[in-house]
Amino acid sequence: MNASGIKFGLGVYTALFIVFLYGPLVVLAILSFQTGPEGGPQFPIIEWSTYWYKHLFGLTPPSRIAPLPIDQALFRSLALAVMTMIVSTVLGVTAAQAFRKKFRGSGVIFYLIVLGMMVPGVLVGLGMALVANTLGIDRHWWGTAFVLHVVYTFPFAFLVMLAIFNRFDPSVEEAAWSLGVPPARTFRKITFPLIFPGVLSAMLFAFTLSYDEFSRTLFASGRDLTLPLAIYGTFSVEVHPNVFAFGVLTTLFSFALLGTYAVLMGLSVRRAKRMAIQEEA
Amino acid sequence: MSSVLQLKNVHKAFAGVPALAGIDASLANDTYVSLLGPSGSGKTTLLRVIAGFEQPDSGEILFSGRRIDGVPPHERGIGFVFQNFALFPHLSVAENIAFGLTNRAVDPVTDAKVVAGRVRDIIGLVGLSGLEDRATTQISGGQKQRVALARTLVTEPSMVLLDEPLGALDANLRMRMRGELRTIRERCGVTFLHVTGSETEALAMGDTVLVLDAGRIAQSTDADTLYSRPASADVARFLNCYNIFPGAVSGDAFASPVGALALGGVKQTSGNPAYAIRYDRVAIRPTDAATADDEVRIEASFVASEYSGAAINSFFTLDDGRVFEVETHLSHAAPATYEEKGRYALVWKREDALVFV
Repeated sequence: MNASGIKFGLGVYTALFIVFLYGPLVVLAILSFQTGPEGGPQFPIIEWSTYWYKHLFGLTPPSRIAPLPIDQALFRSLALAVMTMIVSTVLGVTAAQAFRKKFRGSGVIFYLIVLGMMVPGVLVGLGMALVANTLGIDRHWWGTAFVLHVVYTFPFAFLVMLAIFNRFDPSVEEAAWSLGVPPARTFRKITFPLIFPGVLSAMLFAFTLSYDEFSRTLFASGRDLTLPLAIYGTFSVEVHPNVFAFGVLTTLFSFALLGTYAVLMGLSVRRAKRMAIQEEA
Repeated sequence: MSSVLQLKNVHKAFAGVPALAGIDASLANDTYVSLLGPSGSGKTTLLRVIAGFEQPDSGEILFSGRRIDGVPPHERGIGFVFQNFALFPHLSVAENIAFGLTNRAVDPVTDAKVVAGRVRDIIGLVGLSGLEDRATTQISGGQKQRVALARTLVTEPSMVLLDEPLGALDANLRMRMRGELRTIRERCGVTFLHVTGSETEALAMGDTVLVLDAGRIAQSTDADTLYSRPASADVARFLNCYNIFPGAVSGDAFASPVGALALGGVKQTSGNPAYAIRYDRVAIRPTDAATADDEVRIEASFVASEYSGAAINSFFTLDDGRVFEVETHLSHAAPATYEEKGRYALVWKREDALVFV
């Protein structure tokens, strides 16, 4: 096969990849503009409207279709994701820092940590429910489910930080020590600023994984539902395009989050660039 | 002169392989000490042990009379300049230099004016004026070297360890920085311990030269003595200016693979018998030329010569296949031409040879 043939093949492959990646999302977005309340979650679009967006916020006249029970669930999911993000990132950074030196049992502990992201979520969720019942602990999204979210996202944060520390030149820390700066202050003033881009990535991982976690939360969260559970709950009755409208909004929210990440990431690079411009001026 | 650093029988092994096998040394206050050793001789390990980045397995380290083995690096007050400079990439040149002053645990300088003044002084001393606000990625190798040095000197350590500080610079800059390092050290009055694998660098820089071989200090002396009186055949070999023959003394001659070499010079006890003659003490003559009574003569075939400006190095093969090198300084005479594979007599004075018994 000649070079242009390979190029063409790779182009087609990439195009297909993008179609499958974004196709469902595009369909969802289109259907969210279906007319309501009589329009259903299927083609053709009877009439373009923003009815379902208004419906989400309770701006439509009452109809037989109940509003999505998401306001409480959204708050819970966001709070849970933030809590998980903070705890997992702190654990991930400190654990990866510990793994910079070989210690006794480091191999075993590494696999024990990574196991948290390998084991099937439903089993862990069910197990947690059983343990909680046996010990007489109430199941809550902020308790049992939170613990499982940390167990699940901590390995991701840990692996990200491990990779970051792998490329980290320890001589800058030694240089700081030799200047009389104690290790804790060296970590805060030298190590942390240098690994900050990695910390941001670890935070992003932990937040997004926790925010749409389903299987572990299903059995472990108790009575009060998180967002993915609440949305799944509405499917059991009937699917209306209001779910799609909500999906579009949460996707926009995720993009906003990614945007923030990109801006923060850029800021740590900007400094060096600014210096470069000064240099040329 | 009082000693600032003393090492007593320091041992260090990595996974059972000894890197330091009983280091004993004493470094004088306010001197430039160079530490010469081939790669793998443990010189970087020794430096890291003194700085506290590695713990010795046994032995004592005394710094200004205080025992410091076991003391963490930030409480030792010993500066360290890394081969790769290890500048803080997120800080500017001035911030790099001020970092130790403002952040150290003991006696930090909190007054911004005082810090700025001290930073300005040291920037002047090392010649970095005008670059204060540059990022460390925006300066040249030589400038990075100066930042690394200034960052350390501004904290006023009593001793600075330099790990192959000129290794990352190009040859031209290396020559210039040699002189500057010496000048800067003299102005600060601190002891520099400069690790290098280059014998010319060690000889040019050090008031005292320590030679490290296989985890031990093989010799500790001034540059001139080291060059003309190496303590053993191994040290002579690092200096890269001696032809060395193995063998043993028998009667009034040294029995070597190329025959008996008459004795006459200094005999030194080193445990490992050898006969050494400096490259530049040998004369090349036609085979039929006369030999004086106090001279040693061997024959060899000429192979090639290498011209290096002020001198020319000629290479000969001896009858046992060994390569013999002769350095002729061109200030004495125009370079002679030798016939390839031609036989020549190599002659030197008996008293110029070093004999190790």
